[in-house]
Amino acid sequence: MHNTRCEVIPKYNGRQLYPEICMFENPEISIDELPRIDTITWLQMDEKYARRKLADAAITFFILLFSIAMLRTLFGIAFADDGPDINLSWLWLIPFLVGMPLFVWPFISVPKKGYAVRDKDIIYKSGVFWRTVTAIPFNRLQHVEKSSTPLDRRFQLASLQLFTAGGSGGDLKIHGLSAKTAEKLRKFMLDKIGSSIE
Amino acid sequence: MSESNEGRRIEKRWRHTSPLAAIFYLGKIYKAIAQNAVQTFAPLFALLVAAEGNLVGKVIFGVIAFVTITLVSAIVRYWFFRYRVTEDSVLIREGVFNKTQVDIKFDRIQAINTQQNIVFRPFDLVTVMFDTAGSSKQEGHLPAIKSELADSLKARIRSERRSETNIENDAAEPAPDSRILLQLTKLDMVRIGLSSGRVLIILALLGPLMDNIDKRIEQFVSESDVVAILNSAGISVASGAGLIIGAVLLLVALLAGASIAGAFLRYYRFELRSEEATLRSTGGLLTRHEHSINLAKIQSLRAIQNPALRLFRRYRLRAKQASSGKSGKGKQFDVPICNAEQLPQLSNEVFGAEFASVDLEPRSESFQPIAMSYIRSRFLVFGLLPAMVTTPLFYFLIGKIAFVLLAWLPISALAVWHHHRKFGFVIADNGVVLRRGFIGYQTVAFLHRKVQRINVTQTPLQERKGLATIRFYLASGSLRLPYVDHTVAKDLRDYILYKVESSQLAWH
Repeated sequence: MHNTRCEVIPKYNGRQLYPEICMFENPEISIDELPRIDTITWLQMDEKYARRKLADAAITFFILLFSIAMLRTLFGIAFADDGPDINLSWLWLIPFLVGMPLFVWPFISVPKKGYAVRDKDIIYKSGVFWRTVTAIPFNRLQHVEKSSTPLDRRFQLASLQLFTAGGSGGDLKIHGLSAKTAEKLRKFMLDKIGSSIE
Repeated sequence: MSESNEGRRIEKRWRHTSPLAAIFYLGKIYKAIAQNAVQTFAPLFALLVAAEGNLVGKVIFGVIAFVTITLVSAIVRYWFFRYRVTEDSVLIREGVFNKTQVDIKFDRIQAINTQQNIVFRPFDLVTVMFDTAGSSKQEGHLPAIKSELADSLKARIRSERRSETNIENDAAEPAPDSRILLQLTKLDMVRIGLSSGRVLIILALLGPLMDNIDKRIEQFVSESDVVAILNSAGISVASGAGLIIGAVLLLVALLAGASIAGAFLRYYRFELRSEEATLRSTGGLLTRHEHSINLAKIQSLRAIQNPALRLFRRYRLRAKQASSGKSGKGKQFDVPICNAEQLPQLSNEVFGAEFASVDLEPRSESFQPIAMSYIRSRFLVFGLLPAMVTTPLFYFLIGKIAFVLLAWLPISALAVWHHHRKFGFVIADNGVVLRRGFIGYQTVAFLHRKVQRINVTQTPLQERKGLATIRFYLASGSLRLPYVDHTVAKDLRDYILYKVESSQLAWH
């Protein structure tokens, strides 16, 4: 691996499987000098992303509150005359037990997310307990999709979805980019895809 | 469409296939019926019951109606199927009510697979299936066309590929050379049949029962009225038990026989050839199947060895192509059985000089083990946690017998330890070989430059131990290498990224 000037091109009975491509420069690279992901500087997700997640949490919280109120009302109507005397006040605990962590979680999880764009690939990290660092080389990228929900737009945010070959397993979705950054990244990556295909 | 291209020789006429294509459709219809037997036969059955008249008459009427309807629909489908071969594509028009037109471009065809059933053989007809890039299933087929036409289509694909890859060789190109890599014997058919999954499961289930099954039967028989019945039939208890064992054995033999027959049907006179950087397999007793895969399009090569194959000292090989978006089911090329000498030959055929050191033999010395912590983490999740939850729960329900559940602890510990032992990996200059398994072994090899995306994940436990799990995303699916040293994982990731990003070769 240290002294390959051009790639090993598999030969088949003296015939080439791939076109010869030795005209491009490929200087020796020592294994210790390979670009490291460890040394890159991570970019944080947009600062508004945590607030966006809080909005999500608030919506979930209110839906929970609303459905419990509905449930109690219905119960009240159904057993208006001679119902079993069941105390349903404990139901109000659910939104607080389930909802409260939702309000705290964004402040823990969002700072753990990050991305970095290099000349030839994009790297994304996420996860609080299960920490994943994923890398997609641009010359394996099939296409890039930018999307934003109405709530995203309210916060000027957008998501990028990166598609690689091999089905849904290979797709990566990056949430919480500012709309401007997402658009810039999308253009940048589309350029890269174009130049790698030729 | 291509009519606008003047100067090109274009076939204007839409052609029919041979009328025998109706047989192909008939087969398809019957298959569909067999797959949803209940829904298809329910209305027919209802009709029969509702109709007046005697039963025999109804059944005869039903059979005649069934045969006529299916035959007519097969013939209609044949009649509405037209195709045309143009300069750069195959056009197919089909459908009675829903008309569809498919345009299969030659440069998008990855491979042409054919099938020849026993009726087609004397007429020299074949069914052609086009394997195109990016479709979830084989999207086009030509039923019952002359095999010369199929051959000319194959030649078209070859020349298309050659012009794509190497122009210089094109001129001095005689007939396509082809080498036989593997031929299967009749004995191999038996091996394939006996090593198929279904037979193995049944044998495994019956195995431990066999020892005391006769005792139990004898006990059961002597206690019940069966004795009286058997006695009256002139059969003693002992021979009665023997009869049941015999029946069980017969069942197993029948299953194994069916499996072997299936192997004969599918792989009889199986032959694997290498032609111009393409693997081509032919085989089959009644229906001859021909499959091919372009070597450059292979994403991963897997060798499978289950206990039966281990006994025969054989392997099963599977080469995977890029899978399409939705189905996730990759297109694959199977070699049903090969021996220890053929295994390295075939893997070298696939990876060539680029990954000459590839060794798919699971017991190879070169495999490195994964970290021991894997045992601990799996035991916590699959051993300790379920035991701790179920035992107290059942203690309240059934009392002290619940402690039997604690036996799960040593069993799961042993299973996890055994599973851990089967993991292994080899990192070479241009590729990776991974090994895993539980009852048997699976080894899979792929080239660094075929990787699409790579993940390095750390759980809290792994972080404390300095370990990580790597997931390689290939176009044929993802592969996992758990519990390796974190620095090894990071180095491998950075090296693979370098390999992918500096590679100018097409990955597909």
